[in-house]
Amino acid sequence: MIDRTSRRAREVTRRSRRVLRVARWEASRATGGVDRRTLLTALALLVVAGGVLGVGAATGAVGLDVDRDVYRVGVDPGSPYADAVEAEPALTAVPAEEATLGSTADLLVREVRADGGSEPVGVVVRAVDTRKGEAAAASFEEAVEAHNERLMAAEPNGTAAFPVTVTLRYVSRGSTLDDGEAFGGTSGTDDGGDGGGTDDTGSDGGDDGGGGSSDADTVDGSGSGDGGSDGDDGGGDVAGDGNADSGDSGGNTDDDGNDGWWPFGTDDGSGGLAVPSIGGGAFGADLTGSPGSITPPFPFASLVLAFAFLVPMNFLTQAYGSSVLDERTNRRGEPLLVTPLSPTEIVAGKTLPYVAVAVAVTSLIALVVGGGAISVLAVLPIAATFLGATFVGAVFARSFKELTFVTVAVSVLLTSYAFVPAIFTNVTPVALISPLTLVVFDLQNESVSVGEFLFATGPTAATAALCFGLGLGVYREEDLFTQKPVTRKFLDALAVRLSAVGDGVRESPPTGIAARIPGRVRGLVAVAFLAACTIPFVFVAELLAVAVLFALPVTVSIPVLLVVIAFVEEVAKSVHLYAGFERGVFARTDRVAVAVGLASGTGFFLAEKATAVVQAVGLTELYVGRAAFGSVAGLSDLPPPVLVGLFLAPLALHGVTASLSAVGASRDRTKYVLALAAATLLHAAYNFGVVSLHG
Amino acid sequence: MIEVAGLEKTYGDFSAVVDSTFAVEEGEVFGIVGPNGAGKTTTLKTLAGLIEPTAGEARVAGYDSTEPAMRHHLGFLPEESPLYEEMTATSYLRFFADLYEVPRSVADERIDRALDRLDLDHRDRRLGDVSKGMKRKVAIARSLVNDPDVLVYDEPASGLDPVTTNSVLEFTRELRAAGKTVVFSAHNLYHVESVCDRVVIMNEGRIVARGTVDEIRERHGETTYHVYTDVEPEAGANEAEIDVGDAEAADIGTAEEVGDRYRTVVPSMDAVDRVRTAASDAGGTVVDIRTREPSLEDVFLDLVGRPMPGRRRGGGSGPDADGDTSEGWNRDGDREKRAETATSEGAE
Repeated sequence: MIDRTSRRAREVTRRSRRVLRVARWEASRATGGVDRRTLLTALALLVVAGGVLGVGAATGAVGLDVDRDVYRVGVDPGSPYADAVEAEPALTAVPAEEATLGSTADLLVREVRADGGSEPVGVVVRAVDTRKGEAAAASFEEAVEAHNERLMAAEPNGTAAFPVTVTLRYVSRGSTLDDGEAFGGTSGTDDGGDGGGTDDTGSDGGDDGGGGSSDADTVDGSGSGDGGSDGDDGGGDVAGDGNADSGDSGGNTDDDGNDGWWPFGTDDGSGGLAVPSIGGGAFGADLTGSPGSITPPFPFASLVLAFAFLVPMNFLTQAYGSSVLDERTNRRGEPLLVTPLSPTEIVAGKTLPYVAVAVAVTSLIALVVGGGAISVLAVLPIAATFLGATFVGAVFARSFKELTFVTVAVSVLLTSYAFVPAIFTNVTPVALISPLTLVVFDLQNESVSVGEFLFATGPTAATAALCFGLGLGVYREEDLFTQKPVTRKFLDALAVRLSAVGDGVRESPPTGIAARIPGRVRGLVAVAFLAACTIPFVFVAELLAVAVLFALPVTVSIPVLLVVIAFVEEVAKSVHLYAGFERGVFARTDRVAVAVGLASGTGFFLAEKATAVVQAVGLTELYVGRAAFGSVAGLSDLPPPVLVGLFLAPLALHGVTASLSAVGASRDRTKYVLALAAATLLHAAYNFGVVSLHG
Repeated sequence: MIEVAGLEKTYGDFSAVVDSTFAVEEGEVFGIVGPNGAGKTTTLKTLAGLIEPTAGEARVAGYDSTEPAMRHHLGFLPEESPLYEEMTATSYLRFFADLYEVPRSVADERIDRALDRLDLDHRDRRLGDVSKGMKRKVAIARSLVNDPDVLVYDEPASGLDPVTTNSVLEFTRELRAAGKTVVFSAHNLYHVESVCDRVVIMNEGRIVARGTVDEIRERHGETTYHVYTDVEPEAGANEAEIDVGDAEAADIGTAEEVGDRYRTVVPSMDAVDRVRTAASDAGGTVVDIRTREPSLEDVFLDLVGRPMPGRRRGGGSGPDADGDTSEGWNRDGDREKRAETATSEGAE
């Protein structure tokens, strides 16, 4: 046992050493391929840029506040509001005497004094009647609140400053949501409650201010639910005095109402913060679960910074793809294949330097933008997917022209996949399909649970691994150095992972784990395993479909989604079967076709159960999420036989539809396409039935 | 050292190699000859473990050719020599020696020895800047960095100038002398005849002839006799007396004037006697008799039924019009040997 372990350890060490040798060589090649003068120039530019940024950061000349000095506020330098304006980066103070609303100022703040009195009794805030004016007013509101918070915090008598202590208890996002309830609405209700509570300490009563955002969780402060939303005067000319609810909004945020100097309302009258709205009223935004029904806090700065992590990936894929294709040009890499190194070792060695660069650059960016380990760990699966997809593309491509198309497609698709969902961070669990959402969380200093982390990174990481596995299948002389079309290489890549099924079909001697499986079932196990391996791709494709379709009205999105999902799954279950028949790995008989179809359906079914992880992060709380991934909620009341039947129904479906496709595949391509279409329709009909039954 | 049994390789409906069986002994230089698409390169790549056979097996140095362990015993030279052009010869060879886990000191010694023997200059120049011949030599040196028992060379002298070609062929002979087993393919049959101990001729994926060059010649070709006389043998007598009753004899029964002599080509010693008689009847004598063995190319053309691509025929072993002997095929020169010399009638 010890001998075996030590032998294995020695073998691992030996393999690692080989990989490192190739990695070292690849690194020297990659850098050696660039003209020294060019390299020096690039380095010099980098040093200059880094130096400028560094000096800027050190002296404070360069900040990362993308919203610095956005709004000009006319305010008397002697006014206490001047300090609040000064402290808020987004605001810049303009002397009130010189300020002209709409010209040199977006907002004017004038203190109101009693006749002949020197002490101010109130304040008038006037904003330009534009969206910018509204936003300036909102920003000023925040600035004043923050200023007051600071003053209170500096107060030596803490009890006097904060007579009420509120303990926050965070509740799992998914578990509190009821069917059809919008996130904003829920929060609004909560906020209303808090508002009321706070109003008790104020003077103006807040019964009508359901949407008040007086509490700490201002994130969801724009509640749309209950009451107080009749204000429609926006943030334009609003005047008020000290203690009165002189604004015509019932939803003023007067948590500090006892101070009496916060007179103006906000644009929606709900008392919430005025923030950009995403989705507006388009595409049935009044429907539950759609982004149009919510007014999310747009994490603009965090998103921009998170995007910075994606930019280097595009350069990395170019360099990596070129290097892989360069091996194939003029059979340059052929001698490598004759060495004792396995294709896996060669590819690992070639990829390692690019992974190292990705880690280094990601860490550097995290350091600069203030991200932590979460950011780095979240970006790495994205980097791996970029590299994996590029690797497959470079192995399949027949020329640098095709490679260019591949790398551009990879960059666009993966950037979209990573970035678009992250826009909905803080809004909906759909955002968590992208690892970049974790980066946004990290940059906002929000915690991320292990489940969320695994959900966001798992499919991406698995997809990367499968991309490399797919490419490695054709990393051999017969495919690397020939001009086979991409489709043929794709089928080759799948076929090499299969074992023979049926009489008279020759197979390569099995190796590794496959050698331990009895010959009679080896082929079927390989089929099932390959079908299971498609799950990450299927998952990612379905997540993408959810992300794309969830903004549409449910009446449109659900039917389209169900058909798309049926098609994706049927392709995943049958394309390797078609490859097996095409490449002669399977005997072309109906018996074999049904056998491999059932095996594929079973493998897919078992792996599909792994997607239960979506339950953990609340994706099934969304209507489209439920349609895509199903939900086990509400089934506990059913009798056991029905439960078993429901559990096994997908197995029967997958087995039948995969067998149908397999029978078509065993004939020829045309019949495979027709059988696949029939299987898709059957699957879609099943999906409709399930959704209709479970709602 | 190499055993190939029932080897087959198919690509879809196309059979690249069909039921190929042969064995190569240790220390032997073994040639594989055939036209384009005959299956030579597929066979060699199967031996090198680059291609997995569809059926049959290939064993090299005791290992199945698909086993990674086999590669420690193998040096492979593909038909093309694309190298990593940003590397120098030395760094390139060191890299491959590293991959074979050859200790640096041993690797350096082997690299120096190989490069010295191959007269490779500019070892520290980037490979992108050296000539094609230099690159080929570096590729050959690469095949030796792991000191393999078996060398598989696909067209080693392809596209090289005559001097480099001779150098490569001579080097191959030295490898045999050093006990290496070499499997060697070539379009140029002269290279094969001059280097290989045994040969297989492949056509359309099948082996159509095998053995030593002499055996193949004997089995598939025929020896002819060139009889030189100082007079033209009497046509009638000649025809009558040379009449051996077959078409071939009738075809060669006409004497051809060569300088101040006449040459009659006949298929047997009996026919030679008849020519002698005919010459005597005409008042002359036989001045010279030469035998001509069939060349490998003759056999090749006979078996394959088409000329070799890019081949050249021509007498003499000197440079041809292009100043290149490497592609030339000396049909009569070395292989025409004097079987009998009769300078005069009196000498008989």
